Amino acid sequence: MNERIRQIRSWQFEKNHHAFRQTKLPPIDSYRDKKLPDYMRTALRLKTALDHEKPVFAPGEIIAGTRTLAELPMIYDDDEWEQIGKAHYIHERGTVTNLSPDYGTVIQTGLLHLREQTDDSPYHQAMRISIDAVLDFTSRYRQAAADMGASELANILMRVPAYPAATFREALQSLRILHYAMWCEGNYHNTLGRFDQYLMPYLQHDLDHGALTEEDAMELLEAFFLSCNRDSDLYFGMQQGDNGQSIVLGGMTPDGKSGYNQLSEMCLKASADLRLIDPKINLRVSRDTPLDIYKLGTQLTKLGLGFPQYENDDIAIPGLVALGYREEDARNYAMAACWEFIIPGKGMDIPNIGAVSFAGIIHSVIREKLSEVHSIDELLPYVENKIKKTVLELAETYHDLYIIPSPFMSLFFDGCLKNKKDISLGCVYNNFGLHGTGIATASDILAAVDAAVFHGNISVSSLFEALDRNFKGFEELQHYLKFDCPKMGNDDIRVDQYAVLLLHMFSQAVKNLSNERGGIYRAGTGSAMYYIWHASSLGATADGRSAETPLPANWAPSLNIRLEGPISLIKSFARPDFKEAINGGPLTIEFSDSVFRNDEAITKVAQLVRLFIELGGHQLQLNTVNRDQLLDAQKHPEAYRNLIVRVWGWSGYFVELDKCYQDHIIKRAELTI
Amino acid sequence: MKTGIIFDIKEFAVYDGPGIRTTVFMKGCPLRCQWCHNPEGLSPKPQLMISPAACIHCGACQNACHHKMCITCGACVSCCPLGLRRIAGTVWTSKELALRLLKNQQAFSGSGGGVTFSGGEPMMQWSFIEQVLYYLPGIHIAIETSGYTDVKTFSRMCSKVNLIMMDIKLINPINHKKYTGVDNDRILMNLKLLKEGNTPYIIRIPLIPGVNDDENNMEETAAIFEKPGSLIRVELLPYHITAGAKYSMIGLEYQPQFDTSAKPEIWLSPFHKRSIPTLVL
Ligand code: SF4
Ligand code: SF4
Repeated sequence: MNERIRQIRSWQFEKNHHAFRQTKLPPIDSYRDKKLPDYMRTALRLKTALDHEKPVFAPGEIIAGTRTLAELPMIYDDDEWEQIGKAHYIHERGTVTNLSPDYGTVIQTGLLHLREQTDDSPYHQAMRISIDAVLDFTSRYRQAAADMGASELANILMRVPAYPAATFREALQSLRILHYAMWCEGNYHNTLGRFDQYLMPYLQHDLDHGALTEEDAMELLEAFFLSCNRDSDLYFGMQQGDNGQSIVLGGMTPDGKSGYNQLSEMCLKASADLRLIDPKINLRVSRDTPLDIYKLGTQLTKLGLGFPQYENDDIAIPGLVALGYREEDARNYAMAACWEFIIPGKGMDIPNIGAVSFAGIIHSVIREKLSEVHSIDELLPYVENKIKKTVLELAETYHDLYIIPSPFMSLFFDGCLKNKKDISLGCVYNNFGLHGTGIATASDILAAVDAAVFHGNISVSSLFEALDRNFKGFEELQHYLKFDCPKMGNDDIRVDQYAVLLLHMFSQAVKNLSNERGGIYRAGTGSAMYYIWHASSLGATADGRSAETPLPANWAPSLNIRLEGPISLIKSFARPDFKEAINGGPLTIEFSDSVFRNDEAITKVAQLVRLFIELGGHQLQLNTVNRDQLLDAQKHPEAYRNLIVRVWGWSGYFVELDKCYQDHIIKRAELTI
Repeated sequence: MKTGIIFDIKEFAVYDGPGIRTTVFMKGCPLRCQWCHNPEGLSPKPQLMISPAACIHCGACQNACHHKMCITCGACVSCCPLGLRRIAGTVWTSKELALRLLKNQQAFSGSGGGVTFSGGEPMMQWSFIEQVLYYLPGIHIAIETSGYTDVKTFSRMCSKVNLIMMDIKLINPINHKKYTGVDNDRILMNLKLLKEGNTPYIIRIPLIPGVNDDENNMEETAAIFEKPGSLIRVELLPYHITAGAKYSMIGLEYQPQFDTSAKPEIWLSPFHKRSIPTLVL
């Protein structure tokens, strides 16, 4: 980090830009007009929002764009929205979200080129209004920069995003404005996609022509990363930090080559240098990835940033192809806000539309059928049926989907401009994804019941009584179920076999199921906030889990169990065939910070990550935490403003999380090595 | 088939040798170093170990116990709903242990790692370990030892393992006896064997404030390695206050006769002037 970057970093870290925040909302009447079609309302709201934005610059600003409007009213009034809600299925907030826009093409062609392709049809008019709003907004920024004497910045804003970017700096500035405008359009979880792929040509050009040294390029890149951290508190998410500003580095290119390049490496280094929560880094790897790349990733893990998250090309690409994605698209996958695999510029997938609670399914099958069967094998057909039934019931609720249109966002997606079809109505891929929560706990329940009831001397009735009483008075049984029965994560086939089977049943249950948009369903291993919701309705379970113990997040072992260690953990969790359940959802491993005392340890952690990939694991995310630190942070939040933790698919500041999430992270830290 | 007593098996032990390793902690040790951080490794017998921090005082353990003195029957262990009690010290046959270790083989081979035997003092159970090694052909084996064993066993061990990590605590024999409970003559004799042999080795020095962290002891230690043979490096491990954390868990009191809050001195020059590589952990 050079002096200029340090200055900008501390300026925004001290929240100086908050002084420019506007609390007074711009008038809504221009767009909240019942006579206007929805897409026109969105376009006019974007125009209103951008018209009211005021240029703000950090001292020595390099990449401009700071939001000041704290809120964006809906395009509908409450009554209208209620009516829509009655007639339709609304996903989350009802807006376009969690996509990977094709920034590369827009940066390369410029907005004016897109504008030229519009005609006088109403939808194209809406697109044009959006483009003009962004260009007007940019020109006010340009004027303000010129007035300030920042002529270089002003010159850049003269060119982009209107015209094709010619340099690395122009490309970054163009990206900043385009991305900024998406937020102002009301979209959220706007990911940054394959950043190193679409920006490398500009960097290469500048380096080749001597226009930039690598040091200059680093300054630009860091300035861009800083700009991503300025408005985090204005984004909607479940928790602060859950803003979906992820980037994807490395991985196979659409034509089958290795995409890891100089910019990928610079991003890893810039992130380590700045130590900020955005952008969140995904690193695509494969069997051929050299250890040095894992080591660079591990340097970030060591800092406790909660990323990179690793994705395995060897699994994800064939998995996506098997789901019907074209090979070049599958190779080009990016990540949604947390961990779902999506296709840049082509996917209107909703990969987190719902979730199946595996712990809940197994628990209820056991309560209903255990007294009638003589082995787990006899129980499994009921489990299979129940999974099918649950999936079908879920799928039935996802009909008459309504998503608020986004003409500006649509400019970044294949065919939307040409076909005058808004992205909210679909794109090349329109698949829905279902998370599978608590698969490890579900497997633990089956293994414990097998040991206790079918191979031990515990009667079904006493097991049920113990569960009803949350194990009060059944301490010995609880101990047995929790500590003496096989647990997923200990490389024990007696329990891992159930996880393999459950995931397979899940993928079979969604097979041949289509959604109303002509897409399919994808099964996965994620959880998002479902792990908190599902746990609270469950009660005590037969794996010895007390009612108050949460379910594990994502693809991870049950909480409060004894684990043999990270090698066994990785082997267990790499065992299933993820090619058939590739919606996404990582294995999460918490490392104590004490693991990282020297550089040899970096290599070893890197080797461990590589082992998971070699064994066919799909996705992995490592955390570095110190339990004492977390407990102290709860008591003295003021002293831990900087403490970054990974929550479900994202990193955030620990002290800003709700207490239930803090407690969960502390619980997880007890499982560290 | 031989059996051994083990108090822990730790996967991904990052400070116990090269690559990804699994470390086996052998129970029982002839030394009584005042700074020992694994007090459950001292006695060769099983011991009840309790982690009281999370106890909810449900009383189940008390109801389960019918003994005045603990006989490590384990009755209280298996009724604690939180798993706060365990018996440190499990008996394994050599074959069982080998099979357990082989589960991690994939991790070893890809990383240049393997298995480390630590303790306690693994040399106390050498004949058991030797039988385990029979079932682990081709796996990189390291041992962490105080060197306190007879020369014959030690030299046999040297020919069977790939890496030896040996402690040198104090050169002065009187102080050695005072702080570790034993003479260091056997240790220094075995060290001579190590220097003359071909097995790669690492020397580890726990730096204990006021006990062995003075320049004089470091100079005397370094002087032994004028002709170091297959020495890889000398590792210095500064004392940390958390060393005492486990004593109360096995019903012992931690009473070292040195200032546990002092920061140990780190003298590297005696090694560096002899071109001996060092690493501070
Ligand atoms: S192990 Fe527990 S139950 Fe058994 S004697 Fe010792 S304290 Fe009592
Ligand atoms: S059984 Fe466990 S939780 Fe209950 S009093 Fe004993 S140690 Fe505490």
